Order: sequence, then C-alpha cells, then structure tokens
Amino acid sequence: MDPTVRLVRTWMGSGRDIEIQETVSGIANGQITLLNVVKALGEYLTAEEDELRTKGVEFLSLVMGKCPPEMISRVSARVLITFYCGKLDDTETIVPALKGLATLVSLSTCTSSDVEDIIRALFFHVKMHALAAPNRLLVFSIIDSLMARQREALKSMHHEFLSGYVTLVEGEKDPRNLMTAFAIARVILIEFDIADHIEALFNITFCYFPISFRPPADDPYGISPDDLKMALRSCLCATPLFGPLAIPLYLEKLMAGSPVSKRDTLQSMSASLPVYGASLACDSARKLWSSLKLEIFQSTDPITEEEALKTTQVLIRTIYADFTPHDMDTEDIQGLAREACEECTQILQEPEKSQAKPAIKVLCAFISTTPSVSRYTLSQAIPHMVKLFLNPHELSNRAPITILLTDLVAAARDAMSKSFADPELEVPLMPFKDEVLGVFTVGLKATSSRQPALAGLKAMVNTPTLLADDELGFIVHNVDDMLQADPDDGDDVIDDTLDLLSSISSINPRHVEAQTLPLLFSSLSDKAPARIATTDRAKYWRTLSALSKLCIQQELFETLVVRLSTKMDLICIPVMPTTHNWDLEPSAAYVHAILTALANTLRTKVDLGHTDVPKYIDRLVSRLYNLFIYSALLSTEYRTAATDPRVIDIAAQIITLVIRTLPIQRQEVFAAALFSAYLSGDVKGIAEGHQKMPADKTFRPFQSTSPETQRNLVALFAAGIVPLRKEVHMSSETPAQFLTALVAWDVPTFHSLQIQSIWHISASVVNKRADDILSFLSDMQETFWGQEIANTSISSERRAHAIKTWVWISKGLLVRNHPDAMLFVDRLFEVLGDEQIGWDAARGIGEIGNTDNILTKRNYAMIRILYAQKFFNSMLPRIIQGGQSSQSHEQSAYRVALVSLIKSMPQTAYMHEMSSLVPLLIRGLDLPDAEIRASVIDIFISAVGSDSAEHSGIYEHASTLVSIMLRNSIASEMSSTRVRIAALRYLGILPNIVRYDVLHPYKPTVIRELEKVLDDPKRSVRREAVDARTSWFKYNG
Amino acid sequence: MPGEIFNANPTVYAPSKPYTRKSHLDSGRSLWMGDVQDEEDDSDIEPIDQDEIFDLIRSIYDPEHPNTLEELRVVSAPQIKVSENRIFVEFTPTVPHCGMSTLIGLSIRVRLLRSLPDRFKVDIRVKPGSHQSEHAVNKQLNDKERVAAALENPTLLDTLEQTLADVGRRGRSGETISLSLT
Repeated sequence: MDPTVRLVRTWMGSGRDIEIQETVSGIANGQITLLNVVKALGEYLTAEEDELRTKGVEFLSLVMGKCPPEMISRVSARVLITFYCGKLDDTETIVPALKGLATLVSLSTCTSSDVEDIIRALFFHVKMHALAAPNRLLVFSIIDSLMARQREALKSMHHEFLSGYVTLVEGEKDPRNLMTAFAIARVILIEFDIADHIEALFNITFCYFPISFRPPADDPYGISPDDLKMALRSCLCATPLFGPLAIPLYLEKLMAGSPVSKRDTLQSMSASLPVYGASLACDSARKLWSSLKLEIFQSTDPITEEEALKTTQVLIRTIYADFTPHDMDTEDIQGLAREACEECTQILQEPEKSQAKPAIKVLCAFISTTPSVSRYTLSQAIPHMVKLFLNPHELSNRAPITILLTDLVAAARDAMSKSFADPELEVPLMPFKDEVLGVFTVGLKATSSRQPALAGLKAMVNTPTLLADDELGFIVHNVDDMLQADPDDGDDVIDDTLDLLSSISSINPRHVEAQTLPLLFSSLSDKAPARIATTDRAKYWRTLSALSKLCIQQELFETLVVRLSTKMDLICIPVMPTTHNWDLEPSAAYVHAILTALANTLRTKVDLGHTDVPKYIDRLVSRLYNLFIYSALLSTEYRTAATDPRVIDIAAQIITLVIRTLPIQRQEVFAAALFSAYLSGDVKGIAEGHQKMPADKTFRPFQSTSPETQRNLVALFAAGIVPLRKEVHMSSETPAQFLTALVAWDVPTFHSLQIQSIWHISASVVNKRADDILSFLSDMQETFWGQEIANTSISSERRAHAIKTWVWISKGLLVRNHPDAMLFVDRLFEVLGDEQIGWDAARGIGEIGNTDNILTKRNYAMIRILYAQKFFNSMLPRIIQGGQSSQSHEQSAYRVALVSLIKSMPQTAYMHEMSSLVPLLIRGLDLPDAEIRASVIDIFISAVGSDSAEHSGIYEHASTLVSIMLRNSIASEMSSTRVRIAALRYLGILPNIVRYDVLHPYKPTVIRELEKVLDDPKRSVRREAVDARTSWFKYNG
Repeated sequence: MPGEIFNANPTVYAPSKPYTRKSHLDSGRSLWMGDVQDEEDDSDIEPIDQDEIFDLIRSIYDPEHPNTLEELRVVSAPQIKVSENRIFVEFTPTVPHCGMSTLIGLSIRVRLLRSLPDRFKVDIRVKPGSHQSEHAVNKQLNDKERVAAALENPTLLDTLEQTLADVGRRGRSGETISLSLT
C-alpha cells in the first residue's frame, strides 16, 4: 500500500500525532508530496459521512500547519487556497478549513491575487454567530495576517472589504477576539479610505465604549480590562473623522458613568481630542468645558478630578496649539481660555470658599499648556490675587489668598521645568515678581498667613533664575524673625522657615551665613540655664536644632563646628572643685544638646556624601578627646560637665562618624595614636587641643584603680575602633592577646557605658580579625565559658553580662559566616535550663541574628549576604523541637528564644512558616514578661501581609487571639502600656483580615469589653481602644 | 449628592495642627534633649480633656462636601466643655437654613457614643443663634429614643458611616495615616 494512504488510514482510526509527524517528515525529505496527501485523502474529503469529511480536512490542515513552508509551492498554495475556500460552505469542514487558511495566509507563497478569493469566501460563507469563540479567532487571525502581509490588496477591494468586514465583526464579544479586532480596526481607520463607511466603523468600535469587562477569576488568556481599554482607545483616537460623532458620545458617557468609566472616558478624550483636531475642539469647546467643569468643581473623587484637569489641558492645547498672537507682547487671547479664566477669577473673588480650590486648579492647569495661554492666565490671575490681597476688606482672607497665590507660583515654576528644553524662554513669573514677593513678605507678618507665605517664598526661591541675589538676601532678612518667634504665639513655623532658608543656602549660603547664623549663635548663652528655666532650655534646643538643619553646606558647617566647639569649652571649663556643691547636670545637658546638633548635621552630611567630613579629625575629633581626657584626669579634684556618661556617649557618636570617612593611611595614624593613649597613657597623638594635660596625672582607663570617670572614656576608645577598616593595624599586642585582656577586664560596677564598649570592641575586632584570633576563640570556649557563664557560684548579674559578651562575639563570627559561629551558639543552648540565666541565653540566641549599628558595612565589618536567613533556618527547627521535648522549666526559655529569634528577623524570613508558628507564639503570650508579650503581638502585627491568603495560620486561632488580646488590653490586668497598645492595635486589625463568619460571635463581647478600655488612664491607650472599637463596629457580613 | 444642596460653596479654613498639646521639644520640661520617655507605665492618670474630644470629632466629613467639620469650622476645640462626667459639644452649621444640621449632630453623637466610656453624659447643641430651627435640632439630638430610632434606619446609618469614614485621622492628612498604619 502507498505509505501515504497507510498513514492517512491509521490516523483516521487513531487520531494520534505520530502519523501527522511522519507525513510531515515525509514531505520534508521529499518522499511524499502534498499531492499524494490530497489523493490519499480523496475518499474522505468527499465522504457522505460528516465526521469523515471533517477528519479529512482536519488531517490536511494539521499537516499543513507543521509542514516546512518551502515545501508548499506557489502552485500548491494556489490549489490549497481554492480547495479550502470551497470547504468553507460546509458546516462540517469550515473549522479545519479555517485552520488551513490561517496557515496558508502566513506563507510567502500566498500572493495578492489570492487575497480577494479568500476574503470573498470568508465574507460569503462564514456565519460568525454560528462559530464558537476560538474558531472566530481563526477568522480574525486570517484577516490580521492579510492585514500585515497583503494590506494593499485589501485596500484595493475598497467598499467590498469594508462593508464585509463590518458585518463580520458585528456582535463580537469575546475579549481575545476583540483584542485582534481592535488591532485590525486601527489599521483600517488609519490607512483605508473610510470616508463612506465612517458611521459603520464608528458603530463597531464605539459600541464597546466604555469597556466594563471583568476577567473571570481563572482567565486562561490573561487579558486585563486595561489591555482592552488601551486597544479600544487606540481605535477611538485613530481618525479625525470620528470627531463629530464621538464628542457627543463621550459627553454622554461622562455624565452617566461610574467613577471608573468616567476616568476611562476622560483618558480617551485626552487621547482623541488632538487627533480630532483644533477646529472641532474649537467648535465644541463650550460643551466640553461645561462637562469637564462639572467633574472638576463637583468632583466625585480626586483621581477623576485630576483626569478632568488633564483633559482640560489637552483641550486647551489642541485649540491653541497653532495660535501665535500677531504681536508677541499682547497677552490678549480669545475663546475658551479667556472665558474659563474669567469664570475662575470670578469664583476667586471669594478665596475662602471651597470652590476657590478647584478654580485655582484650573488656572494652574492652564499655566502648563501653551505659552500664549500660560502668559494670558498669569496676566489675569496674578494681578487679580494680588489686588485681592491688598484689598482692606479681604484682610481676614489673607491666608487663603496666600495659599492660592502660592499654587499659581508653583504651577508657573513646574511649567518651566517641563518646557526647559528652551533655555531662552523667559521665566513666566518674571513680570509679576515684585508684586508677588511683596505679598508674601507682608503675609509673613500675620500669624495666620505666615505658613502659606513661607511656602510661597519657597516656591519662588525654587524657580530657577527668578530671583536675584539681593532678593534672596531680602527674603532671608525678612524670614529670620520667624526663628526668634515664641512657639506659643500661634502656629509653629520653625520647620517651614528652616526649609526655606535651606533652599536659599543651597543656592547661595552667604546670606544665611551673614544674617541668620550670627542671630542664632548670639542667642546661645555661654552658661547653661538653670534646672528650672524650662523656657530658656526649650529655646536653646530650638536654636541648636535650627543650626543643625541649616549648616549642612561646607562653609556653614565649618562655622558651626568652630562656634559650637568653642561654646562647649566655655561651658565645661572652668571646672568646679569637687567640694563645690554646684548642680552640673544642666551644663552637661547643654553640652549634650550641642554635641547632638553636631552629630545630627554630620550624619546628614555623611548621607549626602560630602567630602569635607574627614578634615574634622583634626578640627573636631582631637578637640573632643582633648576635652574629655582632660576632664577625666582632673576629675579627682574638679568636676566638669564633660564627665557625664550621656555626654561621653554622644561624643562617641561624632567620633565614629568622622573616623569612618578617613582614608586607610589616616586611619592607621589615628589607630596608633588611639592605642598608645589608651594602653600606654600617651595622649599627645589624639588629644590635641586647648586644654593642657596636667603633668602629674596619667591616663589609665583600663587600670582597675583608676577613677570611674577615666574608665568611662573606654566608650571613646570603642568609638574609634569600631569604624576602623580591617587592614588597619591595631595594637602592639596581638589581636588575640588584646581581646583576652579586654573580656577579662573587670568592670565592677557593670556600668553600661563601659560594658557596652567592651562588647562593641570585641564584636568588631572578632569580625575583622577572625583569622588572627584562633587562640582567643579557643580560650573563650575552654576557659571563659566555664568560669564566667557555666559557673553558678558567681553572681547572676555577672553571668548575664558574660552571656552578652558571648552573644556579641558570636555575632561578630556569624555575620561573616565563620565556621566557629555555630560552636558559640551551641553553647547557649546548654544553659537554657539554668534558673538564673536561662532566659538571658534564650534572648541571646535571638539577638545573635539581630542587626545592630556596630557590625555594619559602614563600619567596614565583614558581612556575608543571607547570613541571617541561614541562621534563622537552622535555629528555628531546633528551637521548635527543643520546646516540645524539654522539661517544663526549659520550655519557657525555648519560647523566649523563639520570640526573640522571630523578632530579630525581617517578616519575609518567617512568613511562609507562619501557620506553624502561630500556636507557638500564642503560647509565648502566657509568659509573664511584658516585653516578650509586646514582642509577640508586634510579630503578629507585622505578619499582617497584604495577601489575606497568608492569614490561614491566623484563622483557626482567631477566637483565641481575640480573647488574649482583650485580656492584655485592660489596664487592671495588664500594667504595661506598651502591651495594652499593641494588643488593641492587633485587636483592631483582626476584623480586617479575618472573614466575618469566623469572628462575628465575638463582636458583642469585644465591643462591650472595649468600652471599659475607653476609660483607660493613658491617653495613648484610649486612642487605640477607640480605633479598635470602631473597626469592630464596622465589622459586618 | 441627591436632593437639595444647602450650601454649595462653604468657607474652608486651614486646619490647625494635628496635635494641639505641646510637643516634648517645646516644653523644655525634661533636662536632656531627645530624652523621650516612652510609654511610661507610671500611675499618672491622663484625664479625658477638650482636645481629646476634639480629636475624636474633627475629621468627621460634612455630609455635603468632601471637607471635614474642622475645615468648615463646624466644630472647634473651644466649643467643647468637659467636666467630671459630662461633656458638652457645641457645633456651628455653615448656614442658618442648613438641613444637614441634624445629620451632622447625629454623626457627632454616634462617634462619641462609640468612643467614650458610658459614664459620660453627652450634650450636643447647635451654637445659639446659628440655626433657624435651633430648638428642634437640639431636641432631636439629645432625645435618646429619637436617636435610637434614627439609628434603626439603614439608609441613614449608611450615610452616617460615610461621614465617619476617615474619622480616625484625627486631623492628620491622608498620607500620614497610611504611613502610620504600616
């Protein structure tokens, strides 16, 4: 038997792919010809039985679909096309025939002469409504293919094609088919001669507008409403011929639609108006404006209002695009822009009323349209507002007028940045500069208009090239008074004032330096105000924070450092004899505030990447070491403010900030000097400054006999070591010896400043020098653990601190993925059962994975990515398991460890585990410790993701959670404010994340119980209670 | 908005600062800068005061406009009096013929009903002379049965919930509240 006949017969029975494949490869290697196939199919193609006919054509089309295109000759293509076209009138063969045609039309062998035949056959035989959606798609793809390849042939069919096509698409509803239909329609609308068919084409496109399609939940094609909207919109705005028909339809839809379809309509109008053209826009201007006005002045929502404003801008641009006044100097303009402007200025006669807002928005929108309209609008609006401001009858409305004027100034500025391509373009506000500046300066004088006037001045300052240098100086002069104003006197405008001054000083710092700074510096007294002088203290706080915000620029910061460090010396020196019973705390607080200001400014500068920071190693860091060491040395006989631990702490922050920015060589020099000061008492290298060290005293901070004041300065040692790069050589001893001595350092008072410094130094050095300190690490494991932690004969306080030391060293290892890290962590599990320190160890396990501000990239710590994730993944199963198997007193420690671990992780790390964690966390809420309870609730709160499916873990425990949260929110049962607030917050979230049918039985109880909490003694708790209760009131099915 | 609009173009005032109480920085009360005592668990009792009540009602929306009662100066802190177990709230309709006054009063009533412990007796009145049917409105608002009956009406309740939609803002603008929720 002929192989082709065999394949065909087998397929008829089996319908398998393999026969198709074989036939195709037969064709490809020339053993079979298409003619053979058709011959072999002969009997089927003409069979009486419907099914056989279908299958016959189907087989051919399947083979065609896979056949290499070069094997289908021009002649065969021609024959096949004729064949398929003939099969379109048979309902049994139409579908496979369409498939065959869909393949053929994509071949190069299909030529323009075939196009007419195919199209005629389609139009004549195909009844779209009789076909299922996927089969209709075949028809659309055939036409789409022809549109891409044989466009000219289609065009030459003129009327026949257009009217046939219109009939074909009518009534199409399937979104996938529509996507293709819209693509075809766009080409027709743009390229074809459609003048005679415009109404029909309008009908097959605009009938879908606005799209209200909502995709089914499991839409396999993934067509979004937006895809359809965009595809349709590209048709609506395809031809100017649509204009006269479209505009009434748009207006009708705009009037009647929901907010979503209103927005769609507005966006479609914005796309269409420029295409429809200026003359139509001009003719329909009034109608369009009166509809748009409604959406702006009586807007349904802010987004629709915004869209309506954009459409108005498009309308104006379309009308006035080609409008060039004969004489550039005339600002006169006719038509819509003029009428709308007049209308808005009329409304602005009452600037305090609610309609003034949308009116100004319209004017602002006009400013960003065409240069001529922009000029006209400003020339009308600005003088109008200025006149209104100066009108004595409107005195009480100066605040709203200033706000509106500011909007105009800002709009004029933003319009500039949009059209900045042309630098020659004049600044739109320039002609009105003096009047506006005058209004804002007058506005500064009254309390009510002060804040808006500052905003207005800022908008002016931010307008490039608008203000001259002397005008900036004038503004600074006028604004300076605000900084001195008493905050009790009306609204506080300090922040706005500083904001404005910063804007000015970023253009030219000279004015602020010459006018503002002297004013501020002179208001800082040389002596601290007494303890009871709260107003004076509040004043220096304000002054310092103002200075801190203003002095960011290089020149200004230099002045700031000089003035403030001098001030600091003045407050600390002369010192008081210890016998003198003088209250030093106010002075210490003053110095602390000064240093805080410096630290804040430095931090901002570092964040901004300023390059002048390193030079303050000499100008500031040395002076700090000088003052603090001097004060400590003198402290046995004299008292000074610089020995206060809180002051030392803030000085440490400054030191770290500066040392971080030093290049490596400079760090080397600094480190050498630092170590020789702290370990050998030779302070010359780091403590250059005004104070001369007493010759009879030596600096020995690590000696146990040294006074506390000296020992506290270890904090400044840590501050210098922590930011050193790992290449920097540290001390004459080996790092291991250094660390061993350090952790053995006896801190009798457990003073937090001292002990913390030890932790920070250890963690940092261990992290950076892990490979040089193996002896230290083994020493820790072999000796330190036994003597300081496992040793039950020493005080529990000391053991707890040793645990902390252990935790910090573990951290140092863990963040760089050091193999020994886990050895350290393992030891902590050994003492979880210890009654004294079990919980400390448990907390420590979690804290190891916590991020801190010592082991950071900025401090040049070695940090491997995902170390925390790894740590979490290895700890979690271990803690969960341990909690189940261990004895009861260990169990609570395991729970503490779990809470502490989860708290230290970002939410994404444990989100997928949440459902198994929830029951464990709930048990954590039984622990009496308020801090832990608050942490658990915080975890619950942060686990509230946006995806409600992820709350599955919460669902089954929802009722338990409700009653636990209620218990923790009542003041008589829970004394910690923090826990009460957290519990209430979560209680208020539950109705938003749990379905109504799950929790509705609790609604009455919750509402009743929360009524008691409304009377909580603390205001912050009551606030949360009100919000939580409101959320339950709104909880409905 | 269906039906008659009583005041299409009301005066809008700039809202005052969200927190009327003095901030920590302004008081100079503590000695150390930035020394914020967190949620102290001391036994200090902070009584419910005028500002707290104002915070509760300032962000109720006007039924006619997208503005809050604070922006329209319908309510203000000085118009609230708090004593031991009594609260007096006075409000000012924007126009004397405002047909929405009862609704405004009712939304204040509902908000306070939900937010205050029931030991308080709350009086809500329109500012004397600011409304043409002052007496009727006051009577309606302070009659327990009438208020309860009004709240049985689902359409009315729906309108009330709309005026209370963003009441949790307490004078802050939209952006800040979404930040504080995350």
